[in-house]
Amino acid sequence: MSEGLEVFFTFLRLGLVSFGGGMANLPEMARVLIAKGWVTPQQFADGFAMGQFVPGPNMLAVVFYGLSACGPVGAVAAALGMFLPGATGAILLVHGWEWMARARWSRALRMALVPVSMGLSASMLLVLIELGLDSLWGLALVGLATLLIYRGANILAIMLAGGVLGLAFTWLR
Amino acid sequence: MRVPLPQLFTAFLYIGLTAFGGGGTAHIYELMVVRRGWLSEREFLETTAVCRVLPGPVFANLAAHLGARLGGALGGLVALAGVLLPGSSLMLLLSLAYFRFGAQPGSSAEGALSGVAAAAIGLVLATMLRQVRVGLDSLKAILLALAVFVTYGLLHWSLLLVLLLTVPVGVALYWQEAE
Repeated sequence: MSEGLEVFFTFLRLGLVSFGGGMANLPEMARVLIAKGWVTPQQFADGFAMGQFVPGPNMLAVVFYGLSACGPVGAVAAALGMFLPGATGAILLVHGWEWMARARWSRALRMALVPVSMGLSASMLLVLIELGLDSLWGLALVGLATLLIYRGANILAIMLAGGVLGLAFTWLR
Repeated sequence: MRVPLPQLFTAFLYIGLTAFGGGGTAHIYELMVVRRGWLSEREFLETTAVCRVLPGPVFANLAAHLGARLGGALGGLVALAGVLLPGSSLMLLLSLAYFRFGAQPGSSAEGALSGVAAAAIGLVLATMLRQVRVGLDSLKAILLALAVFVTYGLLHWSLLLVLLLTVPVGVALYWQEAE
């Protein structure tokens, strides 16, 4: 049980600072989870890849990391820790959202968060490349996927195609 | 507008079941504004903006917020549960299979996953490229993004520290424009 609590508080801490949308906290998550020995770098990358396949937020990859840390209890603890801070804030904002939407500081904050989250995304990209990209072949696949998604291709179809190509490549080798 | 809890739950469960490949906000918009008419367009845009300021994925925050708006605090929890339940159950099953059968280096499963990982990197890159023109439209924006990337991505400072240093600077830089 105490292990479950440790997982909960670790993800709560990550959840509390995950400003900037998407998986901006991914680099820190990778460092923390790998340092604690809950996942190997390979497993971290695999969990992220699997998160692309499930409906809902990509952040659901935390279920994988929690499970790896300490079983089903960890999976639930990780998901609660990650999603509760934002959701609690969102529920409390039922009062005062109109004021928030128009207040000057919140407008300035939203404008500032755009470039900040670009910097966070670039950092996330760097970590993903370090963890998951180890061949010229993979690099070519990244280029192709980028081009297709940029031009408006269906994201789930591209993820599936990536999986099929990865499989084909393993068999051919 | 008040919506009964069971109806709220099934609506968000449907979103959680069908929102594949990111872009959850668009799915919520489609159901809440276009199909059910539970919210006006303007209300939706303003709440989405507010939810961006909170920590965590905008998708989950928006679900919790709209649920609470339509059904009270309990409605918020119900909406969050609905939107997360399908994905987290599937993720749990996939993860159990992964750890049960293992994905050894060189195995088919590992090969498929590395292909997906490469495609996912493409997704992050494409999303960034799309945002560049709007997001990095001024010198201050470029400097702010660069400061975050250098401290967080290259120097591995903690996220909290990076945010505490860059966000107030950013708010100050945009204060004039935010009027």
